[in-house]
Amino acid sequence: MSNVVGIIRALNSGVKHLAVKRFTLRYPEQKLKFVGDGFQFNPETGVGIAGLRGRHILFHEHCTGCQLCSVACEGIAEAISMVKVAETWKHNKKAIMPQIDYGKCVFCGLCVDACPFYALYMTNDYELSSFTKSALIYTPAQLAIKPKISQDVEIKIDGRGASHG
Amino acid sequence: MTTQLPPGMHIETVDDKIMTLNVGPQHPGSGHMRLIIKVDGDYIVSCDPDPGYVHRGEEKMAEYRNYIQNIPHLERPVIHDSSNILYPYCLGVEELLGIEVPERAKYIRVIAAELNRCIYILYWLAIYGIFLGHSTMFMWPAGDRELFIDLLEAMSGARVTHAYLVPGGVRNDLPSNFEERCLRQVEYFEKRLKEYEAIFYQNPLLKARTEGSGILSRTDAIRLGTTGSVLRASGVDFDVRKKEPYDVYENLDFQTIVMKEGDSYARSRIPYLEMFESCRIIKDALKKMPKSGSVRTKLKPNPKGGNDEVYRRVESGRGALGYYIVSNNRPEPYRVKISVGSFRNLICMPYLLKGEKLGNMPAVYWGLNYWPVEADR
Amino acid sequence: MSTIAPQFRLSRFIASLFDLIFWVLLIFSLVGLPIVFIILFYIKLPIINGQLMTPYLSMTWMADPSRTLPIVKTFIHTTIFRVMVFPGFGFAALLAAATIFVERKFLAKIQLRVGPLYCGKIEGILQLMGDGFKLMSKEIIIPAKADKPIFWMGPLLFVGAAGAFVSLIPVAPGWVVANPNVGLLAVFAIIGFFPIIAVLTAWAANSKWTFIGGLRALHQMVAFEIPLILSLLGVVILSGSLNLSHIVESQQHFWWIVFVPIGAIVFFITIFAELERIPFDLPEAESEIVAGWLTEFSGMMYGLIQLGTYLKLYAFAGLFVVLFLGGWNGPMVWPPFPQDIITHGITIGPVTAKFPGLPLFDQEMLNGTLWFVIKTVGVILLILLPRGVFPRVRMDIALHTGWYKLIGLAFINIFIALGLLYAGVLGPGGLLQ
Repeated sequence: MSNVVGIIRALNSGVKHLAVKRFTLRYPEQKLKFVGDGFQFNPETGVGIAGLRGRHILFHEHCTGCQLCSVACEGIAEAISMVKVAETWKHNKKAIMPQIDYGKCVFCGLCVDACPFYALYMTNDYELSSFTKSALIYTPAQLAIKPKISQDVEIKIDGRGASHG
Repeated sequence: MTTQLPPGMHIETVDDKIMTLNVGPQHPGSGHMRLIIKVDGDYIVSCDPDPGYVHRGEEKMAEYRNYIQNIPHLERPVIHDSSNILYPYCLGVEELLGIEVPERAKYIRVIAAELNRCIYILYWLAIYGIFLGHSTMFMWPAGDRELFIDLLEAMSGARVTHAYLVPGGVRNDLPSNFEERCLRQVEYFEKRLKEYEAIFYQNPLLKARTEGSGILSRTDAIRLGTTGSVLRASGVDFDVRKKEPYDVYENLDFQTIVMKEGDSYARSRIPYLEMFESCRIIKDALKKMPKSGSVRTKLKPNPKGGNDEVYRRVESGRGALGYYIVSNNRPEPYRVKISVGSFRNLICMPYLLKGEKLGNMPAVYWGLNYWPVEADR
Repeated sequence: MSTIAPQFRLSRFIASLFDLIFWVLLIFSLVGLPIVFIILFYIKLPIINGQLMTPYLSMTWMADPSRTLPIVKTFIHTTIFRVMVFPGFGFAALLAAATIFVERKFLAKIQLRVGPLYCGKIEGILQLMGDGFKLMSKEIIIPAKADKPIFWMGPLLFVGAAGAFVSLIPVAPGWVVANPNVGLLAVFAIIGFFPIIAVLTAWAANSKWTFIGGLRALHQMVAFEIPLILSLLGVVILSGSLNLSHIVESQQHFWWIVFVPIGAIVFFITIFAELERIPFDLPEAESEIVAGWLTEFSGMMYGLIQLGTYLKLYAFAGLFVVLFLGGWNGPMVWPPFPQDIITHGITIGPVTAKFPGLPLFDQEMLNGTLWFVIKTVGVILLILLPRGVFPRVRMDIALHTGWYKLIGLAFINIFIALGLLYAGVLGPGGLLQ
């Protein structure tokens, strides 16, 4: 008899959930919201600032070409290599800047931790797919562009359940 | 003419009644490892697990990376439980290098570890549902897991490979409205967990399938050296967080869940009850956490350990996870040995599956909380 | 980006068009027309308005519209219409396709997600069409050591048997493809054919996983056939006939489920076992034996098996409705056809258009169809629900249920039916006649 009660309770639970709100979000029409502007690091205090670890952004006016980001990445993913750039900056006599290969990058953010000049941060951009592997290598000029990200929904909890709204 | 076989090989007599099945790496019911099962009709005669499909040489590669570069590398065996697998590494390296961790960082680490434990257990529960053919039990935990992944993404910046714990603390402080968001989602999650009772744990069909199968007695569990929820399902009260507390676990108020039966049903129920305890720990830690303070001790550039060795262990989602680190005055460790709960529990598989029906194989196999990637390292 | 497609050249394209037209004309004139004439030789041509409708005369409906509707109406009442469109293959396939889509959306709602969404503008309604195209375009892979004739025949036999089952279900009074006087026995015979198909194709595929799956299918389906037959005997005893249309007619005042509810429950449980649905989908258990006896089917063969499975689902639900829920009986809610359109035609301004031959379907038939569809949809939703709620059972639990518990309950049901009959409550000469 307890079997029958168990079966009826299970069916009841299933039917009750027809009234609970759907939890999923309809990507790509709706995209997730993020708090903050991306992962950043403050070399003075040695502590990072919380944010999504997405695509990197390189500030050309701070980068001195010290290669510390490349050295940090050598043991992890070997995704950063230094290339010559055509710009001339006073603080970057060697005129080299990092180029990141997103085919290899694991988005760990230790390169951001390694940069002592506030030059390399990460942004909220995560849609980096492309049709060819060579398009995944982002040159320093491409890395300088601030991405435009649409953010629509986040998790909301109310009486009828949780949903992305 | 004497035929001496080379060592390690043996002659196998082929019996017409016994069929050899390869529950192999490409199989919807096996994860990424291979089980060589011999069946006689519907009964399993012998089971020979064949791990090593995902062996990548983590321990050897760790010797070529320095202590900080090892963080994204060593979290790869279990990418969704990354805080728990980095935890003993951080504790060990802190002991080797002599680093003090600030108080707020300890609480944040505990919160991250418990959130990660819930993420792993929900994933495990989802796959358990699939193995038993219960598709709703796959979708609900996978959906509720989003609540925790969302929190960890706000904390650390990534959804799965968090790389959040470092020797010296954590990498960044919590974002601004984290505490109230965490409390809200954890409380909603506790209400959701109670829904799993009617449809899964009290479902007569599930109970008929898992109760009484794959019984591991208490003496056998201790003798075989099992750990984690498998051990606690057989009546042994052992949890590393209580017996060898690390960080601030002695200040927090929770209890160990122990069940006496030792069958598949108990092993499937203990992680579920442990999730309630994890939610208690998170709420308690949020209350007791110091409101401000630094979260990371700055390391000297290029830290080197002396000629020293250390062993620390931690309770992860699958059992006691230990690191044995040896250093010798270089920026890279000399040897990193990882002792994982999954590999310890693998010995139960041939032992428990002998004589079982083939229909019980998924329940027993996944109930042992075995994660193939971690066991192969 | 596709770099394998050849360059487009207009001359080649036009040449291929001419090639196609040539072959179409050749085949049409040399093969198609003779076949059409041979078929028309055997079809009974109708007589409308005192004239025998030869094929050429019936093609003149464009010139004389007064022949349109009578021709259509005669066609509707032929056997071939009943087999192909309603209530045969077309109707059942439409319901089966709708069932697949509704199942995915319904399960998704229970599981707090959306289901198919992107194919088709409104909530993914064209998903099935997309799936059909995909299955047709995939390569059919046959294992090298398989027994090829039987392996190819498997899906065809499966769909054939499912179609035969569908053809026995009456939808409206007088509208059934096949109405033998031992209709229910024919249903049992066809149901008994399915385990044979499963084992044949499983053995022919020559693989370990299909072997285990086929044996499981055999054990399960055979174990649940006996409770299926026994549970329906209660209805046969009470209504006194094996003819499915007569059983429906005998339920004009009350439904049989009121008197033999235990039989209805036993039959409902055996439906899951015969259809291999969760909780009884052992022969197809994904996590244990890859896909059971369906493992080696790919492409359109898999599509045919899916079609057969959902046709069987409709047929079982239809059988449940016919036997226990009163078939097409229900209060008359369909409005009658306006009489003056038949006599005077429709008047718009100065023009009066007459449509001789209306109405196409009579009110009774439409009302019966409506009630049948409503009840069948309800039963199908009830069959879809346990997929989201229960796990899969183990083999010994399934066999235990089938051989012990369900047969016991079915016998209790027969005794209840016999008791009701001999106490004079029901049946000929009873209180409620």
